[in-house]
Parts: sequence; structure tokens; C-alpha cells
Amino acid sequence: MINRSLVETASDTSRHKIRIWDLPTRLFHWLLVIAFIVAMLSQGDDRYLDVHVVSGYLFFGLLGFRFIWGIIGTHYVRFSHFAFDWKAVWHYLKMLPTKQRQHFLGHNPAGSWAIFIILGLGLIVSLTGLLTLGGEERHGPFAGMISFALGSSIHEWHEVTAWLLLGLISIHIVGVLVESWLHHENLIKAMITGLKSVPVSVFAQPLSVQRHGFTATILILVIIVIGTWVYSKPFIGPKLPDNVVWREACGECHLAYHPTLLPARSWQRMLAEQHEHFEEDLDLDDETLLEIQTFLMANAAESELTEPAWKINNSTPPEQTPLRITKTAYWIEQHQNIADEIWQHPDVNFQGNCGACHLDAEQGTFEDAAMRLPSSSVPF
Amino acid sequence: MKKSLILAAIALLPLSTPPIYAANPVDELLAKYRLQGADAFSAEAGKILWHQGFTQTGKIRKCTTCHTNDLHKTGKHARTGKAIKPMAPSVNPERLTKLKKIRKWLKRNCKWTLGRECTPQEKGNILIYLQSQ
Ligand code: HEC
Ligand code: HEC
Ligand code: HEC
Repeated sequence: MINRSLVETASDTSRHKIRIWDLPTRLFHWLLVIAFIVAMLSQGDDRYLDVHVVSGYLFFGLLGFRFIWGIIGTHYVRFSHFAFDWKAVWHYLKMLPTKQRQHFLGHNPAGSWAIFIILGLGLIVSLTGLLTLGGEERHGPFAGMISFALGSSIHEWHEVTAWLLLGLISIHIVGVLVESWLHHENLIKAMITGLKSVPVSVFAQPLSVQRHGFTATILILVIIVIGTWVYSKPFIGPKLPDNVVWREACGECHLAYHPTLLPARSWQRMLAEQHEHFEEDLDLDDETLLEIQTFLMANAAESELTEPAWKINNSTPPEQTPLRITKTAYWIEQHQNIADEIWQHPDVNFQGNCGACHLDAEQGTFEDAAMRLPSSSVPF
Repeated sequence: MKKSLILAAIALLPLSTPPIYAANPVDELLAKYRLQGADAFSAEAGKILWHQGFTQTGKIRKCTTCHTNDLHKTGKHARTGKAIKPMAPSVNPERLTKLKKIRKWLKRNCKWTLGRECTPQEKGNILIYLQSQ
């Protein structure tokens, strides 16, 4: 079977073009390239986390398609067609520098190994990404199922495997260029048009055009549906506990800062000092005080209900009892790069005016993707 | 004899069940302030106090610092930037309708602005002034 796709470099001169890569595979290939590039460009900066996650879902979905298509797809893209053993790879590489080098219609043995590794590694990158998303951001299918600590160590694996994947993709690209040069055939163009030019004497498996056109349409539709669903859904943030008495009493002069933003001992101290609340006398009666206290204690940063809660709690040494969110190490670190002009913007007024920049300040979720410059709809 | 007893009972009824008749919390508060020794209230004096400046920790504080000079406009909390709905009941009918709320804010805002609680006389003057807007 493998031999059949070998193009004997005979003295044949008359050549014709035949279709090797079906439309779904070509679409898959280039969409995967786009998804990977977008994911790489949007990584590392939380402000683009939404873009990163959507490209990640796209990447994952495409891989899923490829695994199915590797079984039911057309002749040259089926896994069984390019499942070479390592001896074949070695033989291929050994012959490559010589005149007797082998020429394949479909994937060559070395290329096919690169493809299998890229697909497998891609799967690992996708899964570690989903686990990171569930642990650190409380989003996606694993939302809330794993701890922040586990999420952040998986995050490291996500990064390591992603860079490895980039390395393999580089090898794959080098391989494609080398082969294109050695065999005088433009493999990149072949992946765009699906066509390869071969001597007429070579037998090529005909591809069923109807079937792949139909599959391509399904593929595109599924991607559009998943893409819009994912994009509109994950960044609303989890619904956090709420309390009417608290929201009313603590939301009169400023935003009702969600309890997750300070440790329990801070809230305890703030309520104990309620008659000197930043020069204001809160003057809460005992009943109100108790209700607010219960709510604040139950949902303080220690609850780890959100990523900021976890980070604020972790970055505040136990001997410190900050009364200001804006004095916690985590808050300072997150906001140190904001220009003075922005702080002086009339809509901002003071640092504790979180809602001027965070669209979800009232809900308390402080999602990465919900940040906006004051008086502008442009994301930071 | 019996008739006059019934009349007396009817006359006393409003006193025994105040919530039914105390429709206006401002009137109720004014009555309390009077009991605490306040004289006749003056909207004019209330207006003067509303615009009067008090120096606290080197800066001048006024009621208008947060409520702005125009009672019909939305104010802004001087320290936190939070919007404060207009104070005049004519544009914001919710104003001066909740006794507890009025009492709480008069206490807080006087303490912050004047550095002390307002006297019953001052509180009454302010309420009369605000009510007329
Ligand atoms: C009477 C008005 C008022 C009320 C009511 C009030 N606060 Fe405050 N709060 C302030 C002021 C004023 C500041 C300080 C603003 C500044 O930075 O100058 C402040 C600051 C804070 C801060 C620090 C914000 C930062 O800089 O990080 C927290 C936290 C806070 N308040 C929590 C509460 C809670 C909890 C309640 C309810 C129990 C409450 N506040 C009710 C007026 C109020
Ligand atoms: C002037 C605008 C502005 C104000 C006001 C502001 N923030 Fe932010 N905040 C930002 C920006 C910009 C970032 C993103 C920093 C980055 O990712 O580099 C951020 C990041 C954060 C993050 C990290 C989000 C994440 O998950 O990565 C938290 C939490 C946060 N802010 C909380 C607050 C709280 C609480 C307040 C009010 C006490 C506040 N911010 C006030 C602009 C602001
Ligand atoms: C630091 C800002 C600030 C200052 C200064 C201030 N207030 Fe207020 N005041 C508020 C806020 C905030 C509210 C609540 C507004 C709301 O409920 O929408 C309020 C509410 C009130 C109310 C309650 C109205 C109602 O809804 O029934 C009264 C009365 C009042 N203020 C009087 C005063 C007086 C008198 C002064 C000056 C002595 C003063 N305020 C100064 C911030 C301020």
C-alpha cells in the first residue's frame, strides 16, 4: 500500500495534476495554523486571555476533527495510510541526500512522524490549557473542579508543552522546505490547492469530491457555532454570593467591594472600627452589623471563590491586616503600570473606584477580559 | 358623659398608633427636634448652612462638596467619585421619604463636614430647606 504512493522518479516526462489533499484537510491545516499563531500571540498577557482561550478552543476542536478525519477521511489523509514504522523513517532519511531518495505522493515517513507528534502534543497542550482555565480562571468544562494550586502547576506544563509544540512545528516547516527543494515541488502550494503534479504513469487514488465538500461545510459550520458559543459565554464569570443588606449598607458611598477582595481578618477589623471608617462613621446597628459580618466572613479571600481572591490571600502575609484592597501586594502589582493620566481621569477619581475600569466590579468577578479604559470602549 | 369619652378616645387615637398618621418622615423628625428644644425652623438658615464652609484637616468642606451647588443636579461623592442622585425632592421623589435614611445621613454628613453632629435646630433648618426644593 505504501509503495503504491511512491512516485518513481522515472524518466517519465508527461505529467498531470491530481488531487492529493481533500478540502476538509486543507481547511483544517490552515485554520490550525491560524489558531496556533493567534494563541501564541495572545499568550502571556491576561488582557488577551479571551482571545487566547477562543483560539485554544478552535485549536482543540480542529484536532478533534482531524482525529475523526484520520479514520474516515479520504485516502491520503487517513492515519493508516501514513503509519510508517521507525525503520521506514530511518531508511527515508538515509536515502534523502542521495539520488535514490524516495518520493511520496502523500506524507513521507519523516513528515508523518512529525504530524503524529504534533497532533499528540497539540492534544496535551489543549488539555493542560483547559485544566489551567478551570483551575486558575474558574472557566470552561473543568471550572471549579480543580484547585488554584493544581491549576497553576498545570499551567507550567501547558507552557512547556506549547513551546515544545512550537519547536516541532519549526522542524515540520524545515522538513517541508527541504523536501520541496529536493523534489522540485512546492509542497506549501499543494496544501493550498490540494494538487500535486505527477507523472501520468503513477497510479493515484481518486478522491470522492462530494464527500469532502460536504464534510468541509460541516467543519466550518461547527467551528462557527462553537466559536460564537465559547466567545459569548466564558467571560461573564461565576456568579458570586450576594447579600442585600451588605450591598445596601456598603454600597452607599462607594462600590460594594466584594468580600473576596480582602482576607477575613481585614473585614473583621474594618467592622470593629466602623465608627472611624476612613474618617466616616458607618454607625451600623447591631443587627445589620452581624448580618454583614457573617456575609463578609463566609466569602472573604480565603474562600478562593475567584482568581483575585486566591492571589490576594496568597500575597498578603498573615501578620498584615490591610484595610485597603488598594494596599494589598497583589493589587499594587496588577496596577503599577497604569499611567498617571489614567488615574487623574475625571471618571476615575480614586483608586478604589474599580468600576471605572472593570465592567464587572459590581459582580466582584474582576475577569481579565472585562477591563476597559475610562470613557473608551477599547480594551486596554 | 359617655359621648365625650368616645370623642376623647377618638382624639387620642392618632397618638397611640403613629405609623398610620405620620405620613411624612420629615414632619416626624421636625416634631422630634422640637421636643429636643429647637425653635421655629427656617429654610433661609438651612440654605446658609448648606453652603457654609468648614475647615477640616486644612481643607474646606461643605454640604455642596458632594451634593453640588445645584440641588437639582446629580452630585458626586468627593472622596470616592460615586454619583449621588439629585437632592431636591421635586426632581428625585425618593428624597426625604425614609426616616432612618435621613437620620443616618444627617449624622454622618454633619460629622464629616462640620466635624461634629448637627444640633436639632440645624437639622430642622436643613430639612425645611431641602423639602422646599
Ligand atoms: C459613609 C460612607 C461609607 C460607607 C457607608 C462605607 N464606606 Fe467604605 N469607604 C468610605 C470612604 C470615604 C473610603 C475611603 C476613600 C478614600 O480612599 O479616600 C472608604 C474605603 C473603603 C475601603 C478601602 C478601599 C480601597 O482603597 O481599597 C473598603 C475596603 C471599604 N471602604 C469597605 C466598606 C465596607 C465593607 C462597608 C460596609 C460595611 C463600607 N465600606 C461602607 C466611605 C464609606
Ligand atoms: C484606572 C483603571 C483601574 C482601576 C480604577 C482599577 N483597576 Fe484593576 N486593573 C486595571 C488594569 C488595566 C488591569 C490589568 C493589568 C494587567 O493585566 O496588566 C487591572 C487588573 C486587575 C486585577 C487582576 C485581574 C486578573 O484576573 O488578572 C484585579 C483583581 C483588579 N484589577 C482589581 C481591581 C480592584 C479591586 C479595583 C478597585 C479597588 C481596581 N482593580 C481598580 C485597571 C484598573
Ligand atoms: C462626602 C460626601 C457628602 C457630603 C460632604 C455630604 N453628603 Fe449628604 N449624602 C451623601 C451621600 C453619598 C448620600 C446618600 C445618597 C443616596 O442615597 O443617593 C447623602 C445623603 C444625604 C441625605 C439623605 C437624603 C435622602 O435620601 O433622604 C441628607 C439629608 C444629606 N445627605 C444631607 C447632607 C448635609 C446637610 C450635608 C452637609 C452638612 C451633606 N449631606 C454633606 C454624601 C455627602
